[in-house]
Amino acid sequence: MPRSTLDADRLCAIAGRTLAGAALDDLLFGSKAEVEAHDASALTVSVTPDRLDLLSEGGLGLYLQGVLGTARGLPDYRAKLEDTLAAGFTVDRSVDALRPSIGGAVVRAPAGRELDAGLLAEAVRFQEILHASIGRNRRAASLGIYPIDRLEFPVRYALEAMSVVQFVPLDASDEVGAPEFFRDHPMAHVYGPMGRAGDSCLTLRDATGVILSLPPVLNGRTAGEARVGDRELLIEATGTRERSVAEAVGLMLVPFVAQGWEVGPIPVERVGRERSDGAAIVDPHSVDLPSRLLRTLGGEGFSASVVERRLAEARLAGHPQPHGWLVDAPPWRPDLTTPVDVGEDVLLAEGVRPEEGILPSSRTRGRLRPETLFRRRFASSLLGLGLAAPHTTLLVSESAVARLGGELPLHIRNPVSAEFAYVRDRLLVSHLEVLARNTRHGYPQRLGEVAPVVVRAPGTETGARTRYHAGLVLAHEGAGFADAASLVDYLLRTVDVTAVREPAEIPGTIAGRAARARVAGEPVAEMGEVAPDILAPLGVPVPVGWAEVDLSALWPLVRPRTTH
Amino acid sequence: MPEASGDAPVGAAPVALSGPERSLLQALRELETPSIDEESLGRKVELPADQVRGSLQRLRSKHLALLEEEHRTTVRLTPKGESAVAKGLPERRFLAALERRGGTLSPDEAAEAGLDEEERSAAIGVLRRRGWLAEGVPFRLKPGASTPEGPLPEETVLRQVGLGETDVDPAIVDALERRGLVRREHRSTKRWSASEEGRRLPLVSEGEELLGSLTPELLRTGDWRGRSFRPYDVRAAVPYATGARPNAYVAWLEEFEEILVGLGFEQAEGPLLETEFWNNDVLFMPQDHPARSIHDALSVEGTEGQPPAADLLARVAAVHEGRALPGATSALGPGWPGPYDVRVAERPVLRSQTTAVSARYLAARPTPPFRMFSIDRNFRREALDARHHIEFHQCEGIIGEEGLDLRHLVGVFTTLADAIGLHELKIRPSYFPFTEPSVEGYVRHPRLGWMEVFPGGILRPEVLGPLGVDVPVLAWGIGVMRLAMVALGRNDIRDLFQDDLGVLTGGTP
Repeated sequence: MPRSTLDADRLCAIAGRTLAGAALDDLLFGSKAEVEAHDASALTVSVTPDRLDLLSEGGLGLYLQGVLGTARGLPDYRAKLEDTLAAGFTVDRSVDALRPSIGGAVVRAPAGRELDAGLLAEAVRFQEILHASIGRNRRAASLGIYPIDRLEFPVRYALEAMSVVQFVPLDASDEVGAPEFFRDHPMAHVYGPMGRAGDSCLTLRDATGVILSLPPVLNGRTAGEARVGDRELLIEATGTRERSVAEAVGLMLVPFVAQGWEVGPIPVERVGRERSDGAAIVDPHSVDLPSRLLRTLGGEGFSASVVERRLAEARLAGHPQPHGWLVDAPPWRPDLTTPVDVGEDVLLAEGVRPEEGILPSSRTRGRLRPETLFRRRFASSLLGLGLAAPHTTLLVSESAVARLGGELPLHIRNPVSAEFAYVRDRLLVSHLEVLARNTRHGYPQRLGEVAPVVVRAPGTETGARTRYHAGLVLAHEGAGFADAASLVDYLLRTVDVTAVREPAEIPGTIAGRAARARVAGEPVAEMGEVAPDILAPLGVPVPVGWAEVDLSALWPLVRPRTTH
Repeated sequence: MPEASGDAPVGAAPVALSGPERSLLQALRELETPSIDEESLGRKVELPADQVRGSLQRLRSKHLALLEEEHRTTVRLTPKGESAVAKGLPERRFLAALERRGGTLSPDEAAEAGLDEEERSAAIGVLRRRGWLAEGVPFRLKPGASTPEGPLPEETVLRQVGLGETDVDPAIVDALERRGLVRREHRSTKRWSASEEGRRLPLVSEGEELLGSLTPELLRTGDWRGRSFRPYDVRAAVPYATGARPNAYVAWLEEFEEILVGLGFEQAEGPLLETEFWNNDVLFMPQDHPARSIHDALSVEGTEGQPPAADLLARVAAVHEGRALPGATSALGPGWPGPYDVRVAERPVLRSQTTAVSARYLAARPTPPFRMFSIDRNFRREALDARHHIEFHQCEGIIGEEGLDLRHLVGVFTTLADAIGLHELKIRPSYFPFTEPSVEGYVRHPRLGWMEVFPGGILRPEVLGPLGVDVPVLAWGIGVMRLAMVALGRNDIRDLFQDDLGVLTGGTP
């Protein structure tokens, strides 16, 4: 889960209450944030992926205000800043193929306040969290924060020839050319491919030609560095997806809003195309909340006053409608897009109590699948034969697969380790491993298991099929083909079928000592004597008989007689 | 294992008795008193003491005779003590000589009084310790010292010991023992009786042949009639047998399945290798969701997937892209950023959640009310440790019918927790792309504290709409391995994949 370490004092200042660790734990239990660690000055919280806003002191503080009652309802954050910005972004067509989306907002400190070190640190840390999460590592969206008093609008977003781009990177003091920057800078090595195409790179330049940043890599120092003392900032995001860009900007507002900063939109003009006033990014968005939906989610018992109080506690604004409410949600709550999303907020603010749990009143008939009962019958038979019952993994090691030879089973493209690199297609792969791990126990050793395998099946939905096998191995002096075959005969007799054996070449067995059994012409079992060149390296000092009944093949043949 | 005698089965040694053992056991069984001492028993059977002792020990090792030992301590006079009783204690005789000599006694005079050097020295030590005799020579009583008028305590105890009395002052006995006047003698008496088994054991007369194994030949001929079988020492070690017993984890899973069946759930099953469509897309998980990345899901190579039915694919694509379902006028929601890619939908992956089984079940349009469960394997790119495994079981469950709400989900969690013996539950909000609201149920384990066990919620319209389900559906996916670890007392999840034959056959690992 996403997590962040927050400044405890700043959080409490926003919440309007001093909160000790245990009290905070209790308050957050009903939220989608959880305290993972806490000391006097800092707390580490993790959140569910839909509530990234709670990873900032601002977002969590606004939530706590609602729960504690120190402030309720939608914060009044929207300012009429449009008048001061006749122009915002102008977007050149050249960016369309590489990174077409851009959006932004202006934030302005309240009277007598300015950007302090704490808010700046919070904003920078939250910016990186958003890059990694909804920004999909800056591909879908990346953010920049700029001081408005050191830039001139309009800001132009374009793809330019690198040869004409000169700027002072945020972490440097000397001007460099874009080619050198992309060649040498570590950030460019990571994010550069998203911001360049051939010999061109994306730029944000102000009206005087100063480079604000090379999206999505790095800001320039001249006009791209927000500092303590700044009072008005531009928050900007570029990306490949309009919605991700808007969500990133909306979330980025919350640290500022919680400190009383005002928010205004940035117009976006696409040269020769449409113009947007940018308000959709910063304005609250409305979501319908029908009364009947609340009943569906949480049952009866939600009076209008309860719903409106819970909405206010959730820092939302509910406007009564004939069928329910129209709910205004702020831009830092992109998780609220449909009625059920808002309904969940009401439910969670109300609280979910175990003692209110009830069971559905309808009656349904429970049952196991007939195939499950069929498999259990075989598992019981194996136990009845005195075979120990291991429980082995479907994923097997590279060495276990290589040992048996033959056609390789399905290979994991991205295995965690060589130990779990293949999907077994027969149980023998696993059961030989079991024998190898048990050589210290002496003999006889007899084991059997009913478990799944996955076999290739070209042309099917996944190109493979899950099948269930009943596998057994018998390791003792005198063990061999006859032992294994006799047990197969016995197992088949338990479901009233008789198989016909035919010689078969089965990898891992001694040539001439392996067979396939058919029922009504269908192959249902394989058996044989394990080859000595396999047993010797495993340290198994006795012969081993092996058999596997394909229960998935057998089931359709016996179903009419074993189900009622 | 060699047989003890005859042809008795291995490990069940018959109880063989020698002649003296038989005689002694017979005598013990015929006792009129509860037990008898060894000497008396020896006299009864007219056997030498050594043979009696050895045979009784053998009967005892065969659990046929019981031994009680009585330990007794007696105090006796030594020759020196007997002399002291006859002549008086040295200190008494020294005092008498002193009195006779008018209260002063030289060493020579003391010798002449019949006290040898050892007695003299003992008498002088005692009298000085008691403050009667002054320091220096000649010996004289301390001025003002009053000598005893009656017998000294030592004299009393010596007399009692001489008379065989047992209730004597142990502290004075200690002092007399240190002076060599008395000695303690410890004696133990062994008393024997027949044990319950010894009384029941059939005793045959000397020379009679006991039967060993009951053979087919004996059965056929009837020669066993009128004869006795050699009894076995049933406590003797037997060969170590191995066998099979149900795998504890698998058995636990089956019990959990039975609980769900009892609650009216029908079982469902799905393929372990799924397409991303069924594993994720149909569950409204965005195609670029971090949990779908190569870092979380296990993909396979060497096989190609196929798209699902075209109409279902179109409906799922529509909700992902925020478009209205075919035939509908408005979208169920804004969908996810980015276009829906059918090539992603076709990719085969090892199933990472059993919710895929629920999706397939719902796609078959079950008739409400319905309840479904599936306990099966899933796979994720987890680093292996005591709490995480790349391969894990999940218990998936859904309930669909009119009128369901979140309280019913809580009710199911409470019922399941109760069924496995965990009675305290609390619920907190959670998040899953396919449910809204989403919650996480925690149960309190008496030893381990609060545990996250029940994640679930109400399936989103974006999941139900494309599948054509028009009733609310509650869904959850329980980490049953974690519950099994608690129930089975395992501390490491890897132990649930048990393949140690020692453990599996009921022996030691």
